[in-house]
Amino acid sequence: MRRLLPVCLGIAMAALACAAEARPLTDDGRLTFSGFGTLGLIHNNLGEADFTRDISQPKGAGEGWSARTDSLLGAQVGYRFTDELDTVVQGISRYHDSGDFSPEVSWAFLRYRPDPGLQLRVGRLGWDVYQLSDSRYVGYAYPWVRPPVDHFGTLQLTYIDGVDVTFKQPVGSDLVLLKLYAGRSKSDVFIGEGIETHFDVDKVYGGHVDYETGPWRFRLGYTEVKSDISFSGEVPDQLDQLLALNPYANLTADDVLGDAYGFDRLRLYSLGAVYDQGPLQLQAMWNRSKTSANGSVDSGFVSAGYRIDRVTPYVVYSQIETASDGEGGGEGDFKQKTYSLGARYDVTANMALKAQLDRVHVQRPGFLWRDIDSDWNGGWGSIFSLGLDFIF
Amino acid sequence: MNRVRRLLIASTLSITTVVSASAGADIAIVVNAGSGIDHLTRSEAVNIFMGRYRKLPTGNVALPIDSSSLKARFYRALVNKDLAEINSYWARLVFSGEASPPQQIASSEDVHQLVTQNMNALSYVDSAHVPDDMHVVLTLGE
Repeated sequence: MRRLLPVCLGIAMAALACAAEARPLTDDGRLTFSGFGTLGLIHNNLGEADFTRDISQPKGAGEGWSARTDSLLGAQVGYRFTDELDTVVQGISRYHDSGDFSPEVSWAFLRYRPDPGLQLRVGRLGWDVYQLSDSRYVGYAYPWVRPPVDHFGTLQLTYIDGVDVTFKQPVGSDLVLLKLYAGRSKSDVFIGEGIETHFDVDKVYGGHVDYETGPWRFRLGYTEVKSDISFSGEVPDQLDQLLALNPYANLTADDVLGDAYGFDRLRLYSLGAVYDQGPLQLQAMWNRSKTSANGSVDSGFVSAGYRIDRVTPYVVYSQIETASDGEGGGEGDFKQKTYSLGARYDVTANMALKAQLDRVHVQRPGFLWRDIDSDWNGGWGSIFSLGLDFIF
Repeated sequence: MNRVRRLLIASTLSITTVVSASAGADIAIVVNAGSGIDHLTRSEAVNIFMGRYRKLPTGNVALPIDSSSLKARFYRALVNKDLAEINSYWARLVFSGEASPPQQIASSEDVHQLVTQNMNALSYVDSAHVPDDMHVVLTLGE
């Protein structure tokens, strides 16, 4: 982190001096370079649990100040072969599953657009499972310091290696969009103390229908994720030792935990609505994820922001509730609600400063928190965040 | 009576002059005079410049061009947003690999050249200064 901060600061300063558009690197404008980043600072008042942005983060922001959770840097290179065919490669450095800021290739695809109504992409693509999910690390693109954690924090994947196709059809002055995608993926997520879950995704496929009318964009989406799941960490290690005492049962921790969680087949149903007219921005989303063990995760949020000159104050309400075996309130279930208040200040046309206060009501502690005290039953926590977002 | 009427007419005329003078400072979306495009609706213009659906009424792919000197006025008139909001909008689409913003051209001479040489190009000019070889497809009031 100490090494990353000066780099980020340097880029932020450079961004100040630059135009906000993707800059052409060649005279013919075929090769472009652009990027985005966030310098984030969090204050957590809870001594009992550490705050995370999403389940890919092995450690959270503990009591006091931390810069790890939200700080990130991304860069994109594009090359246009013809008006119909181009390629995009994008990398990102953020605190993620490897426990450090090691950069990864987030997208690398060929895009073919033979007609405004048809787009095909092949390669590594953003996982466009919810509205805004494939731009959730681009802080400059939204009013908040980070997208609502209760809703976006549970996403298992960031990218898919595969194909997608998008059809667009105008209907009067409205627009209907259908996107279908399929591919493979890999990810490591942290869902509890001492358990790391490895998703080896054989098949991820789905699609969504968007309807755009005036300032409104509505979305209905469905996705299925089929994976080989394995576990590592203290809990599966101890479980394996216990299971080894009875060799006749021929069971491993992967079998037992796999059956209990049912992550091998996930189905995600989502609804979203965005309203964007002049200074007013409204968002509402809802998702239900089902596991093969009949468990579910319900999450959603509503957000409203209103721009007054350079300042956009906003309010957000979000919630998440998990239910194992179809019933909530059981051992290991997670439930919380978050009330957020914040403001975005546009310093320049490519840099925004944000401040946000989250009042989190943890009704049953769970997998979005780290290093949870064993005797903690939840309660109210305050997370105060500062963010400096920039594009270049 | 006559005098009152003359005064009324005079004041009406002067109001009309004021109104038309401010209308002269509107923004005109322009295309190549030979493009065959008569006019665009506001939602078609929004679709093209905001990258939602870039098809011209002729069936060709639209090539929108942002003219740097008028860009702030244009997007204020088109979608009531300032440049920071427009950049924020494009950050989402560019960094999710979904769409690209219009080509950015700094000099108005270059904009003029691109539009008059390409049948599918469209840009915008101050409606008080529309060159003869460009055709206005939509005027946005400011």
